[in-house]
Amino acid sequence: MAAMGSTDAVQLSPSPSPPRVRVDRRRVLAGAVIGGAGLAALHGALAAGLLDRLGGRTAQGWASPLGDERARVAHLLRRATFGASEEELERAASDGFQRTVDRLLEEPPAPPPDLWAADDPDRGSRLQLGRLQLWWVQHMLSTPTPFTERMTLFWHGHFTSDAQKVGLQTPFLYWQNLTWRQMALTDLRSMLWKVTVDPAMLRYLDLATSRGSAPNENYARELMERFTMGVGNYTEEDVRAAARALAGWVEPPPDRYQEVALDAASGARRRYGIWDRPRTGVFVPNRAYRGIVTFLGRTGHLDTEAVLEAILSHPATAGYLASKVAQEFVSADVEASFVRRLADAFRSSGYDVKTLMRAVFTSPEFTADAAYRALVKSPTEFMLHALKAVDAPHLAPLAVAAGSGMGQILFAPPDVGGWPSNASWISSNSVLARVNFAAAVVERLSAVPSLDRLLAQVDGVLGPSTASSLKRAADDRQRALLLLASPEFQLK
Amino acid sequence: MADEIGINRLRRRDFLKAGLVFGAGAAGLAAGYAAVPDAFAQAVYAATTNGAGNDRVLVMIQLAGGNDGLRTVIPLQDPALHDLRPKLAATSVGSALPITDEFGLNQNLRGIKQLWDQGRVAIVQGVGYPNPSFSHFESIRIWETGDPTRRQVDGWLGRTLAKSYDSQGHPLTGCACGTADVPGALRDLQATLTVIDNQRSFGFTGGSEVEEAVGALYRNTPGIYGALFDTAMATARDAVAALRAAEAKYQPQATYSDRQPLVYPSKNQLAAALQLAAELIVTGTGVKLLHVTLGGFDTHYTELTRQDDLMAYLDAAVSAFFQDLDAHGQADRVLVATWSEFGRRPRENASGGTDHGTAAPLLLIGGPVRGGLYGEAPSLTELDATDNLRYTVDFRSVYQEILGPYLGADPKEILGGTFERLGFVRDPVTTF
Repeated sequence: MAAMGSTDAVQLSPSPSPPRVRVDRRRVLAGAVIGGAGLAALHGALAAGLLDRLGGRTAQGWASPLGDERARVAHLLRRATFGASEEELERAASDGFQRTVDRLLEEPPAPPPDLWAADDPDRGSRLQLGRLQLWWVQHMLSTPTPFTERMTLFWHGHFTSDAQKVGLQTPFLYWQNLTWRQMALTDLRSMLWKVTVDPAMLRYLDLATSRGSAPNENYARELMERFTMGVGNYTEEDVRAAARALAGWVEPPPDRYQEVALDAASGARRRYGIWDRPRTGVFVPNRAYRGIVTFLGRTGHLDTEAVLEAILSHPATAGYLASKVAQEFVSADVEASFVRRLADAFRSSGYDVKTLMRAVFTSPEFTADAAYRALVKSPTEFMLHALKAVDAPHLAPLAVAAGSGMGQILFAPPDVGGWPSNASWISSNSVLARVNFAAAVVERLSAVPSLDRLLAQVDGVLGPSTASSLKRAADDRQRALLLLASPEFQLK
Repeated sequence: MADEIGINRLRRRDFLKAGLVFGAGAAGLAAGYAAVPDAFAQAVYAATTNGAGNDRVLVMIQLAGGNDGLRTVIPLQDPALHDLRPKLAATSVGSALPITDEFGLNQNLRGIKQLWDQGRVAIVQGVGYPNPSFSHFESIRIWETGDPTRRQVDGWLGRTLAKSYDSQGHPLTGCACGTADVPGALRDLQATLTVIDNQRSFGFTGGSEVEEAVGALYRNTPGIYGALFDTAMATARDAVAALRAAEAKYQPQATYSDRQPLVYPSKNQLAAALQLAAELIVTGTGVKLLHVTLGGFDTHYTELTRQDDLMAYLDAAVSAFFQDLDAHGQADRVLVATWSEFGRRPRENASGGTDHGTAAPLLLIGGPVRGGLYGEAPSLTELDATDNLRYTVDFRSVYQEILGPYLGADPKEILGGTFERLGFVRDPVTTF
């Protein structure tokens, strides 16, 4: 048994004695394990077993190919879309990086197909979660405008709502998805309005039950804390003031009702509303607050528009969102100066999302070597990338089923903060679930892509274990499984 | 650090020092578990001075939907019950299984009644929290996080795992059985836990060949997440190995059946989940905190049959569980506790059911319990402004008793406060 720290058993990164640091999520999250801490950092409970299995190694990062423009284009597509086939990569590579950025940003969003058929009895009325998830996954796989879809997914995890609270007895959650897509690449001002009056959001954060005489603070608080400014930039008085100023919105009433029998024995029936088309919330002046409030330094009879304007004028807003976008698209750790540059561009453009995203993609930070594989694909991204890599969109139902085991159920984030990312996606349960998803997909393929096609998905940049595993593999099918299951494929 | 009072710290290198054999690799681990189960378990639970280590296990059973407390622990002599529930009370009072003059258990809780007679059931009555929420979503979050103000995002058991147990290398310390995703009560990014939907499917699709091939990928992984990926994969393999070893050694000493007559078929297989829990406990895997769920309690209509059937299902599963534990001689270190997001409204509705309510009784079952009634049954006449029961015991008091006196963890650190002492644990680990 290799004793901890004995230098003849393992090659450690240069240091007189190995630091006694246990690698666990606690440490990674605390940023205490960075870059090349590698094996030297493996200590504690698992070290004994792992040292035997790993043998010697030196700590290192990935060999970044981002000096090459083709690799930069692949990196862009990996992060801005749900994966590209070799042909799509070819086309984008010949366009070049800058033109590809232009193309991604300028395409008007392709609308998804209707969720319900024309004769579906639930049309405009009830939802089934699995069906809604499958509908979206299928659209993500087939849409001609995947960047819009990628941004829709991002906003879905930012302006959150949860199926368990919003419920499936109305079409609100479906409408929200349509709205988030329509607004995904517009500007923050119009987005915040749409978010505030969105029926699913009105329900999720209780604005629909808030009245001027008895304001509910939930939406006001999360609007500032999670959606725009971040904690510490407003006071409790601001929350109370905003709650008063925002009160008055209610859910849009249905056009008519249908009655469904729930239980023959008791005769219990339930009424479901039917809406002929998507609606936004309705403002009822009687429910509004009539007094004067002071919110973020502004005093007066403030209404929803005034609240949103005040938030948009606040210096923290641009930086908060720029920071979130940078962490989602560039790397988990971002320099304050980088965030400031993005925030300035965002703010001075009138909070135009396209301007912000262009600034992100064309920044030196985005294609710096340090950004290569600096992010972990979310479960949805991993599964979609996998299905695209093996050209198997018909296996979308597998992606819908496997999401919960990986920690991401579409339309049901764990809380209003959305899904925690990167290191938080990695756990024994989720790694097992990802590997099993890869196996389930490959098992069902009639034709397996060649190794070359698959290697293109990871720029041909492999760690030593993956490389030797692929060499040892028996056939293309096993190679496909190994590639999709590899740590290389989990990263972007 | 391992000597902190009341904290159970498991470090594998401690066992290496103690001379226990652990071969490298998952296969070695499996052999290790199989070869020295008792020694491992004993070493894990070796009592040190100041009552630090213990081998106590907690099993939380979530009754999802809002279980009707008034049909679980039934007031036998309260005329108000009949006024409020002309349909629902009539039969239930008459067929209840009396446990005191005043109260009886639902007629289908026969096994639990027997455990009560053995002094192994504590019932805490009137459990709730201030400003109750009638939303499933919100109330579940409150119970899961232990925070009625809804600021906390981590689960109370997740926080317990993260703060109290060194679970590195022991992936089964916290375990959710019979579900695909992490129950909110166990959620904490810093907590190592395993989610096992069912034993048959838990593992690497494609078997050990795939496991070997895929496991080989996660070695020397470069990059900032490399070590985390490798650790996660090794932990997954540990968990699979531990489960296989447990499966191989375990012989159920009771009959578990999920074939229960229910008005609506259950999405959860409670018996299978509890059987898995029993297996993990009796084979010495080092499991400490387990969570299982039974759904279907949201009885807005047709409550009579639906809730009675669920009671029968719960009873059968829990009885089998304790029969199994007793036969293995392990029942004295296991505490089962039920929880539900709320009770139901005292007044029945027009569809033969009840709507969302507030306070309800919790059942705590097992050898470690001092049997009896705790708390105070809420008055059926002095209802609150929403016509619901007024709670008498804050649910965090129950958690506190479980965390401190039972598990030996630090309840104040986990719950962020101190609450009324209840005293239903027979041999408290710490008194405070």
